[in-house]
Amino acid sequence: MRALIDSIGADRIRQYLPLATLVILVIAVGVAQPAFLEPATLLQLAADTAVLFILATGVTFVIMLGGIDLSLQSMASLASVIVALTITRLGYGAFVLAVAVGAIVGLLAGLAHVRLRIPSFIATLAMGGVLFSAALVISHEQSITLGEAERGYQTWITGSVAGVPSVVIVGLIVLVVAHILQSRTAFGRYSAAIGAGEPAAYASGVKVDRQKVIAYALSASFAALAGVILAGRLSSGSPTLAAELLLPSIAAVVVGGTAITGGVGSIWRTLVGALIISVVRIGMTFLGVNIFAQNIVFGAVLIIAVAITIDRSKIPIVK
Amino acid sequence: MSPAAATPALSLAGIEKRFPGVHALKDVSIDIMPGEVVGLIGENGAGKSTLMKILSGVYQPDGGEIRLGGQPTRFMNAADANLQGIGMVFQEQSLLTNLSVGENIYLGTEAAFTRFGMIDWKALNAAASRQLEKVEVDVDPRARTADLDFATRQMVELAKTLTLEDQAAGHLVILLDEPTSVLERAEIEILFSRVRALKSRASFIFVSHRLDEVLELSDRIYVMKDGAVVADLPAADANVTQLHQLMVGRSLQAEYYREGLQKPFQDEVVVEAEALSLGHDYRDVSFSLHAGEILGIAGVIGSGREELTRTLAGFAPHDRGKLRIGGKEVRFRTPAEAVDNGMGYIPRERRVEGLVLFLSVAANITLGNLRSLTRNGLIDNREERRLATRWVDRLNVKTPSIDALCLNLSGGNQQKVVLAKWLNAKAKVLILDHPTRGLDVGAKEEVYELVRAVTAEGVAVVLTSDTLEETIGLSHTVLVMRDGAITHRADARPGGKPTQVELIEHMV
Repeated sequence: MRALIDSIGADRIRQYLPLATLVILVIAVGVAQPAFLEPATLLQLAADTAVLFILATGVTFVIMLGGIDLSLQSMASLASVIVALTITRLGYGAFVLAVAVGAIVGLLAGLAHVRLRIPSFIATLAMGGVLFSAALVISHEQSITLGEAERGYQTWITGSVAGVPSVVIVGLIVLVVAHILQSRTAFGRYSAAIGAGEPAAYASGVKVDRQKVIAYALSASFAALAGVILAGRLSSGSPTLAAELLLPSIAAVVVGGTAITGGVGSIWRTLVGALIISVVRIGMTFLGVNIFAQNIVFGAVLIIAVAITIDRSKIPIVK
Repeated sequence: MSPAAATPALSLAGIEKRFPGVHALKDVSIDIMPGEVVGLIGENGAGKSTLMKILSGVYQPDGGEIRLGGQPTRFMNAADANLQGIGMVFQEQSLLTNLSVGENIYLGTEAAFTRFGMIDWKALNAAASRQLEKVEVDVDPRARTADLDFATRQMVELAKTLTLEDQAAGHLVILLDEPTSVLERAEIEILFSRVRALKSRASFIFVSHRLDEVLELSDRIYVMKDGAVVADLPAADANVTQLHQLMVGRSLQAEYYREGLQKPFQDEVVVEAEALSLGHDYRDVSFSLHAGEILGIAGVIGSGREELTRTLAGFAPHDRGKLRIGGKEVRFRTPAEAVDNGMGYIPRERRVEGLVLFLSVAANITLGNLRSLTRNGLIDNREERRLATRWVDRLNVKTPSIDALCLNLSGGNQQKVVLAKWLNAKAKVLILDHPTRGLDVGAKEEVYELVRAVTAEGVAVVLTSDTLEETIGLSHTVLVMRDGAITHRADARPGGKPTQVELIEHMV
């Protein structure tokens, strides 16, 4: 019985560990650099987190049902290139086009995964390669700067409403929509069931393949949206624009406390995880860590987070 | 053999084991003589598993003494227990199916055949052949384990255990933990005859839920209840009813299968199979299943009854013949299609296919019919909780709350949650695939009662069961299958039930 209580206690602690970590990190950075705690800086932090959060939210849907999406950074980069190439002709339509391409790409990756029975990391790894090359080809291997004339279309990304950066509001909308999808709809419930026990979900009549395809389509759509926002913020599209974001995105999901094995997790946790990654990034900047060395830290953080969140007594063998 | 004169091969004296809040073993003393087969029975939770884990070195006792051949000893871990001559044959077989039989037999002990890091396969396979001879199984040690049937694998497992003879100093004691649960009658006969033949080499502890088998194989039987040994009696003097009573501590109701509650079924045909066939698995299967009817399917492994069940549940679509549900012709390519047509599958692998263990009781109950709870795309949480609470009350599911993970429920209560899932989904047909496997006597009775209750309300049931007794006891009609075809149909109304012998004739 004590073992039982202990395990419940450990679960509780595991649940609140990410939030506690975030609070401690914010305080630590705040103490070292009091300016960090000013509202303007915190809003800037939120704005800087939005892209990462949207990427991480997309892949949360996939991780919840036990899969992984390794193509999200390539999808985001491709979306930025699509926006840069078409915004002159299509205006706002460029954003719609980019997200629509994301949905189709996710659909294809999902179908390859379930129909051809290819492990998701292979299907999405391969898809990532395809997308990266596609972005290179259509951009002629160049970064494309958005012209002054098109800036007007980007105010929903670069502007602000009552002092709050627009991108933060976009992030909040994504949070609400994704949270409802994940916690209140049949899709969200089925995802958790599939992640926690796919054979039982299948035997219970859950259309497992369909739920998986939806999850991959969501993941790629969110990645495309993130790419669109990145293009707006940086006023350019490039095949490598989001190249460094795969590792931090997956780290954000796992650091937030969503199990990499699926079944347990939430969008809230991903938000907390994304904020932790952002604060760590800022902390490293304060400490003067070389920006190119930051993925060393995120790699280590990912491994440590997985080690903490997996209850190994329940999963004796990991492949 | 006079137990008083001989030294026990293995002796447990006053074994105590406590877990926080649970006194799992209370002063348990058990003696096993050389060459003796000792039966160990008890309800789930009686302490059998804990005792077996102590014997196999997984747990350490908190008190008492283990003596091997009269000498006090301790089993530090499973490998240590092995070295001291304790072998184990598990219910879930431990063989790796992608390896050869010989590789399996010497898995982990290949060192004896290794020279300069290379395994001498010839010597290993020759040695494996000698082990297989001990259990009289004619299998090439180079054969892939996956190609063997379950019964043969069980023999290989036994042969693997017997390799301990060469390593252990003393007498072998082999723990047989529910070894027959995956075997059919004829295969059980073979296993038992091998065990009897091996008595000169080893003693056995036989743990099983099947009391008739315990009576048949054992020399002596220990009965456990609530962590203590409540009886130690020679098998020759015991009978099933008496063992039941000792296990549950109350007399078994005369009406075990609730035959008194068996109502005549209705006229409405719910499922109709017409010359249904699937590859080599079964062929030309025809039957009509009526509302409120329990159709039992009897047959040995390979008879096709398991595959037929899987077809009805949507896992293995038939390739010829017709299947009609409520008059509509169907062919299920996925379980989802079966569920949409009112089928509810209660699988034998309860913890794998029956329940999502890491989801709550409520979420499992509504999993088969979430759509009906969805308003404007959102799950109605309040309605979900109301439904879950109602089913938990109605089926008397013992759970701390509807939010508890199914992982933490006992087997019987887990099975009730699976049942609740399909009742909530308003399934018209329940497919009970070995529904009482691994359940203790009390939990079985509750399942029988629930099955009677749902059929009285017009639900039709297809039943494949672990025992013929259960099939006969529960069913309105029994189909017997052999080699993929129906060989016999028996009416099984109360008072006119077929005998086991009558059915076995058509099974083998």
